[in-house]
Amino acid sequence: MMAKNRISLEINGEAVEADVRPNRLLSDFLRDDLALTGTKRGCETGVCGACSVLVDGDVVKSCLSLAIQMNGCSLTTVEGLACDGAPSPLQKSFMECGGLQCGYCTPGFLMAASDLLARTSRPDVATIRKNLSGNLCRCTGYQGIVDAILDASEKMHGT
Amino acid sequence: MRDFHYLEPRTVSEATAMLADHGEEACVFAGGTALILALRQRMMAPGVLVSLGQLEEMRAIRFDPKEGLLIGAMARHNDIARSKIVRQHYPVVAEMAGGLANPQVRNQATIGGNLCYADPSTDPPACLLALGAELTIKGQHGARRIPMDEFNVDYFTVAMEPGEILTQIRLPPPDQEVTTFYRRHLRTPAEHRPVANLALAVRNRGGAFEDVRLIVGAATPAPQLLDGVQDYLSGRSVTAEVAAEAADRAAEEMFPISDGRGDEGFRRQVVRALTRRLVAEAANLDWKETE
Amino acid sequence: MNAFAPGLPTPQVTSQEKALGRATYAGDLKIAGMLHAKLLRSPHAHARILNVDVSRAIALPGVRAVFTGDDVPQRAWGVKHKQQHVLAREVVRFVGEEIAAVVAIDEDTAEEALDLIRVEYEPLPALIDPSQALEPNAVKVHPGGNLADEIGIVRGDVDSAFAEADIVHEETYTTHSQYPGYMEPMATLATTDGSGKLTVWTATQSVFLARQRLAEALDRPVSTVRVVQPTVGGGFGGKIIEERSSVIAGFLAAATDRPVRLCLSRIDDMLSGAFSVPMKIRLKMGMTRDGRITAKDVSIRADCGAYAGLAPEVMLVTAMRSDNMQRLEHTRSHAQLVYTHTMPRGAFRGFGGTQMAFALNSHLTAMADLAGIDPIELHRQNAIRTGDLSIHGWKIGSCGLPECLNQIEGAIGWTEKRSRPKQRGVLRRGIGMAAAMHVSGNRTMGNWDGSTIVLKVNEDGRVVVLTSEADVGQGSNTMLSQICAHELGVPLSHVSVQTPDTDFTPYCLGSIASRVTINAGKAMIKAAREARETILAAAAEKLGCDAIDLTIEDGVVQSTSNANHFAKLPDICRYHIFRHGGEGIHIKATHDPDTVMMDGDHYGNIAPAYSFAAQAVEVEVDTETGQVRLIESWLSDDCGKAINPLAVHGQSNGAAVQAIGWTLCEELQFEEGRLMNGNLADYTMPTADSVPEMHSSIVESMDPNGPLGAKGASETAILPGAPAIANAVFDAIGVRITDLPITPEKILAAIAAQKEKRDA
Ligand SMILES: Cc1cc2nc3c(=O)[nH]c(=O)nc-3n(C[C@H](O)[C@H](O)[C@H](O)COP(=O)(O)OP(=O)(O)OC[C@H]3O[C@@H](n4cnc5c(N)ncnc54)[C@H](O)[C@@H]3O)c2cc1C
Ligand code: FES
Ligand code: FES
Repeated sequence: MMAKNRISLEINGEAVEADVRPNRLLSDFLRDDLALTGTKRGCETGVCGACSVLVDGDVVKSCLSLAIQMNGCSLTTVEGLACDGAPSPLQKSFMECGGLQCGYCTPGFLMAASDLLARTSRPDVATIRKNLSGNLCRCTGYQGIVDAILDASEKMHGT
Repeated sequence: MRDFHYLEPRTVSEATAMLADHGEEACVFAGGTALILALRQRMMAPGVLVSLGQLEEMRAIRFDPKEGLLIGAMARHNDIARSKIVRQHYPVVAEMAGGLANPQVRNQATIGGNLCYADPSTDPPACLLALGAELTIKGQHGARRIPMDEFNVDYFTVAMEPGEILTQIRLPPPDQEVTTFYRRHLRTPAEHRPVANLALAVRNRGGAFEDVRLIVGAATPAPQLLDGVQDYLSGRSVTAEVAAEAADRAAEEMFPISDGRGDEGFRRQVVRALTRRLVAEAANLDWKETE
Repeated sequence: MNAFAPGLPTPQVTSQEKALGRATYAGDLKIAGMLHAKLLRSPHAHARILNVDVSRAIALPGVRAVFTGDDVPQRAWGVKHKQQHVLAREVVRFVGEEIAAVVAIDEDTAEEALDLIRVEYEPLPALIDPSQALEPNAVKVHPGGNLADEIGIVRGDVDSAFAEADIVHEETYTTHSQYPGYMEPMATLATTDGSGKLTVWTATQSVFLARQRLAEALDRPVSTVRVVQPTVGGGFGGKIIEERSSVIAGFLAAATDRPVRLCLSRIDDMLSGAFSVPMKIRLKMGMTRDGRITAKDVSIRADCGAYAGLAPEVMLVTAMRSDNMQRLEHTRSHAQLVYTHTMPRGAFRGFGGTQMAFALNSHLTAMADLAGIDPIELHRQNAIRTGDLSIHGWKIGSCGLPECLNQIEGAIGWTEKRSRPKQRGVLRRGIGMAAAMHVSGNRTMGNWDGSTIVLKVNEDGRVVVLTSEADVGQGSNTMLSQICAHELGVPLSHVSVQTPDTDFTPYCLGSIASRVTINAGKAMIKAAREARETILAAAAEKLGCDAIDLTIEDGVVQSTSNANHFAKLPDICRYHIFRHGGEGIHIKATHDPDTVMMDGDHYGNIAPAYSFAAQAVEVEVDTETGQVRLIESWLSDDCGKAINPLAVHGQSNGAAVQAIGWTLCEELQFEEGRLMNGNLADYTMPTADSVPEMHSSIVESMDPNGPLGAKGASETAILPGAPAIANAVFDAIGVRITDLPITPEKILAAIAAQKEKRDA
C-alpha cells in the first residue's frame, strides 16, 4: 500500500490536516474520513452534481477530484453554508420555495447556486438554468429550485 | 482506483524530468476530470501521476499583438470563458469555453487536458482549429511547436510522445476581416456532450467568401477539415442554395463516428444542418425559413 | 390562524435537515465494526453456473467473507411468483444478476476481490425479444414456460358496439422501459446484535413490505427482522417490493454476524433493474361521428424480464385503469406478460398507467382529427363525472377532469394556438394535450388498505406521530403534521413524525398506489381528534368545566364561555399523567377505507377515490436535426384538495419532467440483453436547462372520502406527459410517433417518409 501524503487545507473555515492516500477521492475523503456526509454520491462520474463543493469559491465535483489536489485550498461543503447552525438565506429559500423534496440532490444544488450568486447577484431564469446544468434532480422538475434561487437572490440583493 | 504516487513539480522542466524518470509508469495529471474516470474504470493504472497543478506559469492567459493569444494549457475552461482578454479578442473562444460541459467541469477541467485526452466528443478542438491554433509541446529535450492541424490523429490519439507536455496554445492575432462561428449540437437538450459541432472562419468580401476554414468536430474520430466544402465556398457569394449545397457536401465529405449518441447517418444529418446554418449565418441569411 | 394550516403552502417538515445537509440517508450511516459489500454480477443473459472459485478472493487481505448461490437459503422469494434467491443459484437469467458477494473491510478491497472470483459458466441460448417469447420453440426462461401472466376482461358487447361506430381507428403503440432515476442509488446497512435480531436500515418506500421480503428471502421469522427507514432519496416505485440489494445486505449481515453496508454504485443500481415494464399495445376504438366513444379493444404484450415481481399487477393497470376515465359501455382487454432473459421490470410511478395513457391519448387525438373535433372537447364529452359508477365498478366520488381540461385549455391558449396556420419553417411548433386518471389507494394486498397512526402527546404538549407510511421526498410527513397541528390546535413545529421502524411504528403498507394522503391522512384526523377529546376531557376535569365548551388554540386550552377558564396545553398533559391512575396521552387510530378487492372478473371499487390530471404542451421540432424541445407545459391536477399546495406543485412539476425524460431523452440501450448505457452520462435524464418553466395548477374536487377532501397527487401527473408531447409533435410536423421514445432519428425518418410520400 502506498504511503499517505500529508495535506493541509481549510474546510468550512476550519484548518484541517490529514494524511491521505493519493488515490483518495475528495468525495470519499469528505464523507468517509471527515464524516461530512452532506456531500452526496449520486453517480461518481461527474454528471449528477450531488457531490458538488466549493474549492476556493469555485463549484467543483468532488467525485472528479482527488483529496490530495486540495492541499492549500479552502473548501466549503454544504455543512459550511449555515450561519451558526441556522439555514442561510439561500438554504431558507430552498426550504420555502419547494427547492427540495427528497433532499438528496440539495447539497449539490446549494453549492452550484452559491457559486452562481457569488458571481451574479441577480441572475435571470435562463442564467440560473444554465448554471444548474451540472446537477440532476429527479423530484422537483427544477421549478422549485429555480424559484428558490430567484427568491434568494432577491432577498440577498434586493430588487 | 489503484494506488499511485502523486508528484507535484514546480517547473515545467522538473515535470518533464519526472516524466522521463518514470517512463511508462508515469502519466500527466491536469484537471483530473478525465483521468480520474479512467483510473476508476481501471482503463489505465499508472504508478505515478505528475500533477501540473502547481505550475502557475501554465495557467496564464496573455495577449500579444504580434504573437496573438497565448493560453496556458492549465487554464481551466472557465478561466478562458471569463478572461477579459479572450472575450475581447476572441469572443467565439470565450463563448465556446463557457458553453461546454457544465459549470463544475468548467471549473476543474483544463484546455490542455481536453486537447491531450482527445475524446472526440468535445468542443475546443474544432473551434481552435478554425482559428489556426498552434501548440507548444515540451519534452525533456526542449520545446516544439506544431500547428493544431497536425495534432489530432485519431480517437484519443494526439501527435505527442510519451513524456511530453502540452504547455501552451497560441491563436494568431485576430484578422479583423475574418469572422469565426462556432456551434455545438446536442442530440437532445438534456445531453451532456455534443453529438457534433462545427466551426467556420470566413473572410466575407462583399458577399463572397474567402479564406474559408470549415471544421467538423465531435462527429468524427478527430476534428476534420472539410477541404472540399472550403473549396466549394471559396470565392462564392453565398445564397440559400449555396448554403444548402455546402451542407450536402459537408455531410458527404465527413467521416462520421457511430456510437450510442448517434449513428453515422444521424451525424451526417446533424452536420448537414449545422453547416447550412453557419454558412447562412455567415452570409447574413436567415436559415430558419425553408420551402 | 395557523400559517401552515391544511390548504396553505408549507415547507416540508424535513426541509431544514435536508437543506443543512444533515438528513441521514442509508449510505451515511456507520456502525462500529462495519464491513462493506460488493456484488459480482452475471455477464451472461442466460447461463448455467458450473463453478465459482472464490479461493483467491477470500485470500485477499481485508476480505472477510465471500458468498455465492450455494450459501443462500433455498427458499425462493417473490411477490406472487416465488422465483428469486438472495444470490442466483445454478442458473443466471439476466445480465447483471447477482451471483456472488464479497464482504471486506472497505469498498476498494471488496471491489478488488470481485476481480479474483473465477466463475465458470455454460452460456445458454437467451430469449431477448419478447415478441418471440410465446413461439412454440422459444427458449424457456422458467420451466413453466414464458407466459408469466394473462388477463382477459370483457364488458358489454364489443363487437356490436364496433359495428355501430362511425369511426373505427386501430393502431399499435410501443413503450420502453424507464429507469426511476432517483438520485440516491440503493443503499442498505444491516446488522445483527447478538439477540437474534437482524436490523436493516434501507432506502425503502415501505418498511413492512421490505421486512416481508427479507423474512421470506432469508427464510426466517418476520419478527426476527427489524427494518428502519432512514431519509430516502427518492423511490418512484423502484424501492418497493422488488428491490434486491437490501435482501442481499440483510443476508450478508446475518451470515457474517457483523454490520454490513451495501451501497450500490450508479451502474450497479441500473444493472439491478427496477425499470418500468415495456409494452406493446394494440388499441382499437370506435366512435360515433359526434364524438361518443362506443367501443374499445385493447391487446397488450408486456415484458417483465427474468422475474415477474409486480409486473402482473402493473399490466393489469395498463389493461383496464384508463377505461374508468370515460363513460364506456363496451370494452375488451387481453394482456399477456412474458418472461425474457433481461433485467426484471416492475413498479414505476404511474404503475402501468403511463403505458396506456400514451396509447389512449395518442389515439384519441388521432380520432378527434378524424372526426373533426377538438381533442379537448372529445375528452370533455366522454369524461366520467362525479357520482358515476365506471365500467369496472369504480365509484367516482369526485371527478375534476372537466375542470382540469378547462384549466389547461385556457392556460396554454389552446384555441388560439390551434387556429394558427401550420408552420413551414425549419423549426416548427405544435401543441398537444392528454388526460389521465389514477387511483388513490388500491385494495390489493390481503384485503386491507388501511393505515394506523399512533399519536403521543408529551408532557410539554408537543406531539410525536408514529407511522410507517414512508416519506420518500413527496412530503407525507408534512401533510400528516399539518393535519395533526390543525386538528389539535398546536403549532406545526410542535409535531414531529418519527421515522418508520417495524419494531416501533404501526403496520402500514407504505408509499405505494398514491395511498398515503387518503388513508393515513384519514387515520391522522381520527387520531388527532381523539387526542383532542382526551385532552379536553382532562382539561374539563382540571378546570371544572364542560369539555364541550373547550377549544385548543395555539397550545392553549380555552373555554369559549368563560375567559377565566384556560390552561396551557403542557399543564393539561402533565395533569393527564401525574395523578393516580394517570398515563401519558397515547392514541391509536386506524382507517381502512370502505373499498373492495376486485373480484375474479376484475370488477369492484378498489379505491376510496380517484385522481385526474390533464396536461397541454407546446413543442418546437427542429426538422433538420430531429430535436424536440418543450416550449411550454401546463399541467392541471385534481388532487381533491391540496393539503400542501407547495408539495402538490412540486409533485406535478417533478412528474412532468420525468415524463419529458421518458418521452424525449431517456432510452436504455441494450445489446443482447446487456445494458450499454448504464450511467448517467449516457442515460440522459432532463437537466434544468433542457426544460422550460413548468406550470402546475390544482383542481380541488373535494372528494367525500378524502381527508379534508384530499386524494393522491403525483402519480397522476406523470401520466399525460408522453402523449401530450407526441400529440404536439404531430401538430407541429404532421407525423405521429407511436413508439417511444421520440428520438431525433425517428423524427427525421418520419419526416423523410412523409416527404417521399408527398413527392411520389
Ligand atoms: C460530465 C462531463 C461532461 C463533459 N462535457 C464536455 C463537453 O461538453 N465538451 C468538452 O469539450 N468537454 C467535455 N468534457 C470533457 C472535459 O473538458 C474533460 O474532462 C477535459 O477535457 C479533461 O481535462 P482535465 O484537465 O481534467 O484533464 P485530465 O483528466 O487531467 O487529463 C486528461 C488526459 O490528458 C493528459 N494531459 C492533461 N494535460 C496535459 C498536458 N498539459 N500535457 C500532456 N498531457 C496532458 C493526461 O495525462 C490525461 O491522459 C466533459 C467532462 C465531463 C466529466
Ligand atoms: S457523484 Fe459527483 S457528479 Fe455525481
Ligand atoms: S429533491 Fe430529490 S433529487 Fe432533488
